[in-house]
Amino acid sequence: MVSMGPERDFPRSHGFLIIILIVFLTAMIIVGFSVDGFHAFSGFLRIQTHPARLLNDYIEIAGIGGALLNAASVGFIGLAFCAASGIPLSGPTWAAVLTMTGFGLFGKTPLNILPIILGVYIAARTIGKKMKDYLIIALFGTALGPLVGAISWELGFSLPAALLFGVLGGIITGFFLPSIAVAMLHLHQGYNLYNMGLSCGFFGLFAAAVIRGFGGTLGGESVWYSRSHPVLIFMIPVMGFVFIFIALLSGGKKSFSDLKRIFSSSGRLPSDFVDGASPEGALLNIGLIGILGSAYIWIVGGDFNGPLIGGLLTIMGFGAFGTHLKNSWPVVAGVVLAALATGNALNAPGPILAAIFCTTLAPLAGEFGIIAGIIAGIIHFLMVMQTGSWHGGMNLYNNGFAGGLTAAIFVSVIQWYRTNKAEK
Amino acid sequence: MKRKDQIIQLMSEMASYLLDEDPMRLVISLHQEEDGLHLAVIDDNDHSDEEIAELERKLNSRKRPELAAYYGAMTGHDQLGSARLDLLGWSIKHADVEKMNPGLKIDLWLGGDRFDSRQFTLPGKKPASD
Repeated sequence: MVSMGPERDFPRSHGFLIIILIVFLTAMIIVGFSVDGFHAFSGFLRIQTHPARLLNDYIEIAGIGGALLNAASVGFIGLAFCAASGIPLSGPTWAAVLTMTGFGLFGKTPLNILPIILGVYIAARTIGKKMKDYLIIALFGTALGPLVGAISWELGFSLPAALLFGVLGGIITGFFLPSIAVAMLHLHQGYNLYNMGLSCGFFGLFAAAVIRGFGGTLGGESVWYSRSHPVLIFMIPVMGFVFIFIALLSGGKKSFSDLKRIFSSSGRLPSDFVDGASPEGALLNIGLIGILGSAYIWIVGGDFNGPLIGGLLTIMGFGAFGTHLKNSWPVVAGVVLAALATGNALNAPGPILAAIFCTTLAPLAGEFGIIAGIIAGIIHFLMVMQTGSWHGGMNLYNNGFAGGLTAAIFVSVIQWYRTNKAEK
Repeated sequence: MKRKDQIIQLMSEMASYLLDEDPMRLVISLHQEEDGLHLAVIDDNDHSDEEIAELERKLNSRKRPELAAYYGAMTGHDQLGSARLDLLGWSIKHADVEKMNPGLKIDLWLGGDRFDSRQFTLPGKKPASD
């Protein structure tokens, strides 16, 4: 490959976003200690050796303090890898760090994500690339953290063997991810925002088959926090209002015109709203998504717990990288219609998670219109209620997996029709 | 990525973009050097000043290695939807967009800078005689 020339200086948005993320992650740690005192730390330690497959709500397992501490640690690891790779914060890195933080409330731990990141690094070096080339794959690839946890803590190994096999399993997993990620991208052509969800789900099918083939079991009950706590209820709305305030303070009226520009984007991968519009416009979009997402949970009577706050953090992350209100609502409407038509309660874990994470298919509505978006939402819901068991819950981005399959069938049909229909 | 694959991706994405407007003439010219290459793309359609400014912006976007090595794989490959020149902009050295009458000429440089766009050749090589 020929040289692309020198990279340019870090953009203004980098400093802006990194300060916001550091303040947010630090606030999570402070709130965690203020809610649970030093029990937060023992809760954090408990999470490290707990199975992580879907659905294990760390708030139920370790308390609010322990879960917030774990989530902030995972977020800081993501941020540290961005800094170490020399990649400025922008849409995709913002999305990756917030997604990692969110899933630190129900599945990711420092211990189960690091071997996967190491595996991606080894893959990059094997073909002469640098870590920064595969940074996004490494960060989102931590969706398979529960696979490391399953090998370590669910197969009955002694502690040394558990650590050894877990780390080895994670490295092997990470090594395969770059090749799978690029292949999966072609399958849906960028219309599934959580491409690593599809990639990790695909890999998870093989991993689950191997584990089950050797007599392992991947069953287990869901752990779901269903009480309410003011910190959990107000965390995301407050964050949303703060983001909107910062956007308006920094960008003034221009933030609204930048938001309008974001709304005109289909959101297809890779749509970096920070670069394409402005950090302020993106922040305004992110804040609105957080507030309206929380409002949806409140309206349907959902629980503000680890998975749902994690989901809100994820869609707020992608508010800088493909998701906006205009391209999201048709897909959410499709999920709601499908849930009602199949007799599911909107506040049950599966439907409510699908309503949040289905925004992975927002680019389909952005590119092909409202009807396509609604149909995509319906198909997505029917798929996502089944796909979790396929990979034994080891792929945390189960909606990304189902969304990828849904997008792939849409893209195949539309491409076939457009390519073969006789021109008049 | 092999150089051949990269050239095919660049040509395909540029062609996809310009063919959307159904030009009557489209020329893609490749000049390879040891340390790089140059692509000239010419069409005969009318293009507004706004479109040309947007083209320049996308083709000369900030280098994004974290996106180029991953999402860049879609360049010139996944063509359902509108063409995405920002994918291309992340992986080239720089681009010039020049309005012609009619149409436009886009010069894309990767690596070497020796190509003389006005002479439409590499210096030191004799232009082909008619």
